[in-house]
Amino acid sequence: MKLSKKQNWQRLHSRFEPGFMRMLLLSVAIHVLLPAFYTGLLYFSPPKEKPPVYRVNLVNKPVKNPQAGRPEASQKKQETVKKTQPKASPKPVVKPKPKPAPKPKPKPVVKPKPKPVAKPKPKPAPKPTVSKADEQSLAQKIDAMRRQKEREDRIAKLKEDLARERDKVVSPVVDAPVGEITGKGDEEGIAFASYVKAYITEQWRYSPYLGNNLNLEAVWVLVYSAEGQLVHKKVIAKSGNRAFDDSLLRAILKSQDLGRELGEKTEFEVTFNLREMQN
Amino acid sequence: MKNGRLFLVIVALLLTSLSSAWAVKIEISAPGEQEIPLALTSFLPMGPIKPEIAQEIDAVLEADLSLSGLFSLVDRGAFLSDAESLGLSSVQVDFAQWKLLGAEAVIKGGYRVEGDRLIIEARLFDVVARRMLTGRRYIGKLDEARRIAHTFADQVLLSLTGTKGPFSSRIAYISNRTGKKELYLMEVDGHAPVRLTSHRKIVLNPDFSPVGKELLFTSYKNGNPDLFRKEIYTGRESRLSHRKGLNIGGRYSPDGREVAVTLSKDKNSELYLLGTDGTIHKRLTNHWGIDVDPSWSPAGNEIAFVSDRRGNPHVYIVKLDSLEVRRLTFDGKYNATPAWSPDGKRIAFSRLEDKRFDIYTIKPDGTDQRRLTFGPGNKEHPRWSPDGRFLVYSLDHNNEKSIYLMRADGTGTRRISAPGGDDSHPAWSGHW
Repeated sequence: MKLSKKQNWQRLHSRFEPGFMRMLLLSVAIHVLLPAFYTGLLYFSPPKEKPPVYRVNLVNKPVKNPQAGRPEASQKKQETVKKTQPKASPKPVVKPKPKPAPKPKPKPVVKPKPKPVAKPKPKPAPKPTVSKADEQSLAQKIDAMRRQKEREDRIAKLKEDLARERDKVVSPVVDAPVGEITGKGDEEGIAFASYVKAYITEQWRYSPYLGNNLNLEAVWVLVYSAEGQLVHKKVIAKSGNRAFDDSLLRAILKSQDLGRELGEKTEFEVTFNLREMQN
Repeated sequence: MKNGRLFLVIVALLLTSLSSAWAVKIEISAPGEQEIPLALTSFLPMGPIKPEIAQEIDAVLEADLSLSGLFSLVDRGAFLSDAESLGLSSVQVDFAQWKLLGAEAVIKGGYRVEGDRLIIEARLFDVVARRMLTGRRYIGKLDEARRIAHTFADQVLLSLTGTKGPFSSRIAYISNRTGKKELYLMEVDGHAPVRLTSHRKIVLNPDFSPVGKELLFTSYKNGNPDLFRKEIYTGRESRLSHRKGLNIGGRYSPDGREVAVTLSKDKNSELYLLGTDGTIHKRLTNHWGIDVDPSWSPAGNEIAFVSDRRGNPHVYIVKLDSLEVRRLTFDGKYNATPAWSPDGKRIAFSRLEDKRFDIYTIKPDGTDQRRLTFGPGNKEHPRWSPDGRFLVYSLDHNNEKSIYLMRADGTGTRRISAPGGDDSHPAWSGHW
């Protein structure tokens, strides 16, 4: 007796314990999920925050319009200046000379170059007298001179490229900001704000042994005159720790004279904390 | 009229908000220097010259203040004329000179001998603010210059940090200088060691009472390791617990009313709470494992101890109300001698790793484990100073045991016990 497909399936089904298929499916699912669990594919890993990069500028002096960005960026600016130099440089060389004899002198300077090429030109007049061999040797000489010039130019260019490559400044930290973050400016150096920050930091002495709490923060407003003198100080928020607050007062008292002009009266809101000492 | 006032208020508010908006914002996230430049001048005579007194004061102050880690001492060779002047009030001090040398603080002082009395005047000045931070007049015996200098060093720390220094406290320890292990007492810098017992047997594991100058220790004086109590100044001694078996590791509770101790009266070592009369108040542990080395939390509600209930010896913490036990350490094969810091924030202990014991600290919740000691030798038995700034421990190296001291972060290590004796099991007193 032939059984239909449905009957066959029912017969097969009846051979197993009730719930067997469900268990089988569950087992398959677990076996599929197990490697995923093991390899950590199912775990959510939040993106790790990049640690803050602290850059200390020990060399640059403050300027009014600090050039921004990375050392590479500042280098680029230098390059653009260099490119314009060739145009500007001949002028001062030529200018002093033309003054005593303005026109005649530059001409001999410029003409000598075409002359070797030009000289053979006037000679064509006595062409018939010049033999073909002479003409050929002259052409060869000119050709050799041209090649020599080309080679010299190429070597000079290579040397220039090499020097540029050697002077190239590369930041050790790929995406770290350097200089001022604003990205604008026309002078290399640091802003007055950075100078004031460095100056006050230098005056601030605080030992971690003064207390076992490094989660301290205080905010001061300091107003400096255009001459760099502290004209007003006000505490906005105290830390609540006497040793910490005293150390700040000492630092501010030591920073009464910045030793440099600011150019204009400036108000600074300075936040003091120990974040860098917490690690 | 009303509108005019309103207008003025609005303008004032706008100006205030604009002025703060105009302010250049700067964040300074660490000081330029992490030490305070301190000028420590020699104490000058206010009467007959006694150079040995000045030298002693200078040496003690310099050692204590250097150990604190707070200061960088300004070179004495650079001192100008104000160092030779006995002006001890802020108007007499030439602060400009000290500012020129880069000092932020200056210590000046003088001494006078009157018969058998020693009078010492000591001052700490803030050079930047041009004011006196603290000043004291001490009167003592002629041979107490050291003690006075330690006391002033404590005062300097108090005035700068709000917490008194530990330099005038004492350290008890066990030494076998007489050929037998006896109990000794010395100053924090190792000076003036005094033997307190002459049991001519083994004396172990001292602990100071938080109230009064009293010590607990275990001694085999009567053949059994019994728990003794000793008054330091009177020398009076009594047995607190002499039950059969071990009576070891006695530790006073922070209020001094109870003593945690390991007893093995029922064969197995268990922790108990005793009254100061020696009676058992409470059994703290009940496990087949060995439970030893109790150390109280400063709040007095928990005790850290060592147990091998899970195999290797590890540090556990038991709550005194519920007797609930939780495991603190999981790393290493042998963790021993826990000591809870006075502020309750960390627990110091020694751990055997790479065949050597080293000192570690860990938070009471089991996080932030830090290794403090490195180098050769076994470092064991850590104990905190009463202010929590320092740790004292014993180092067993080259077949000699000695007492060492370091800052709580593991820096500034220095040997304090004299060579020539096996010194171990230090215990730091409270403020003396």
